[in-house]
Amino acid sequence: MAAISESVKADAAEAPLLNKKNMFAGAALYVVFYAWVRWYEGIYGWSAGLDSFAPEFETYWMNFLYIEMVAEIVVASVLWGYIWKTRDRKVLSITPREELRRHFTHWIWLVMYGIAVYYGASYFTEQDGTWHQTIVRDTDFTPSHIIEFYLAYPIYIITGVASLLYAKTRLPAYQQGLPLQYLVAVIGPFMILPNVGLNEWGHTFWFMEELFVAPLHYGFVFFGWATLGVLGIVNIEVASLSKLLKKDLA
Amino acid sequence: MSASQSAVRSRAEAVKVSRTFDWMILFVMFFIVLGGYHIHYMLTGGDWDFWTDWKDRRLWVTVAPIVSITFPAAVQACAWYRYRLPFGAVVCVLGLLLGEWINRYLNFWGWTYFPVNFCFPSNLIPGAIVLDGILLLGGSMTLTAVVGGLAWGLLFYPGNWPIIAPLHVPVEYNGMMMTLADLQGYNYVRTGTPEYIRMVEKGTLRTFGKDVAPVSAFFSGFVSIIIYFLWHFFGRWFASTDFISGENL
Repeated sequence: MAAISESVKADAAEAPLLNKKNMFAGAALYVVFYAWVRWYEGIYGWSAGLDSFAPEFETYWMNFLYIEMVAEIVVASVLWGYIWKTRDRKVLSITPREELRRHFTHWIWLVMYGIAVYYGASYFTEQDGTWHQTIVRDTDFTPSHIIEFYLAYPIYIITGVASLLYAKTRLPAYQQGLPLQYLVAVIGPFMILPNVGLNEWGHTFWFMEELFVAPLHYGFVFFGWATLGVLGIVNIEVASLSKLLKKDLA
Repeated sequence: MSASQSAVRSRAEAVKVSRTFDWMILFVMFFIVLGGYHIHYMLTGGDWDFWTDWKDRRLWVTVAPIVSITFPAAVQACAWYRYRLPFGAVVCVLGLLLGEWINRYLNFWGWTYFPVNFCFPSNLIPGAIVLDGILLLGGSMTLTAVVGGLAWGLLFYPGNWPIIAPLHVPVEYNGMMMTLADLQGYNYVRTGTPEYIRMVEKGTLRTFGKDVAPVSAFFSGFVSIIIYFLWHFFGRWFASTDFISGENL
């Protein structure tokens, strides 16, 4: 009886396998933040974002760009540094239950990556299409680009790399080397950001407003394909979760 | 770690954990594939998908199915061959359509004020259901590529016809004969308008009228077969679980 009481106490004190509070808080953070960004675009896109030579453009858009770039570098350094610094140096000797808990935490990171990729690759990229079909640009740093290229893309890069780092530093399943498709799923979409260099060069050099499907944009397409690396991640995860749960589910 | 230790306390907990992972996996796959598929589709067929005046009987019918069969083929290659889940194509298309509809309402209409009946997305659902159905019933990648790929191209125009037909009604405006969709575009001039004038409804076949759409759909189905094969193998590669050593980087 005493032993059972101890076990019940231990269960009650134990951290939950899936920390739902963290997951929903993380998701809410992204959704609320991007709702605010969309509100900002709606107000200051039309009132201050049409003429890049106007002083209000500098105030509302260029300053937004400078602030977000600094914030992203700081967040990336702190977050990636923290995950690396607190890595588990005895990752292969953790208990199966701890491993399962870490898989759940890893999936929280992947849920955040899913949300971040949605906003970056879908929401703000197609939004850029309608803005530039409406407003003829006079700068590379247009309101939609300042959000799409220099905010939404870095956010999914920061999230994706954090997710990969978490898996690599805390899960036994990722200790046999570097998971190829995980690298593809994170580095491929990351490469969309350097590809912005080509995009802006092309838009500066030619008049490229007339066709959204112009070959100049194919770099984004190619690196967008890399999101399919998520299929490989799912397969690695399913294999290791099966190992952990198989005998209990049989 | 001891092999005899268990990660869960009971079978009930194991089942609960397994179901929770199922939902998380579905959520993550849905949104990441949505992102990749949407950026691919908008930058390879987007202009035809954005505006009703671009939704003509020739290039829209040709381009949209060819560029959209890609991700469904790749996801089927993983979902069916590894897990026997027959919904790879439908999941992809639902994701794409969700991303597009949110955008058309909140951004095309909400930010740049194009009416939604001018910028709604193309319907890909009928082709996706048939593609998954053929894979489920036949269990063969070759059959799905040949029959499903052809059906994907052929079904696109009829699948969109009930939506687009009212906008293809002819109207006379300033002495010019055009469709209602053309008239919408005339009133909503965009930076893409010159390209629209150069590309939409051009070609000699157009002169003969009614054959343009079926011929375009047939050609589209033919290319969709080839693209399906190609992307099936892409899907298999993306679904691999290989590890590489740090020395190879």
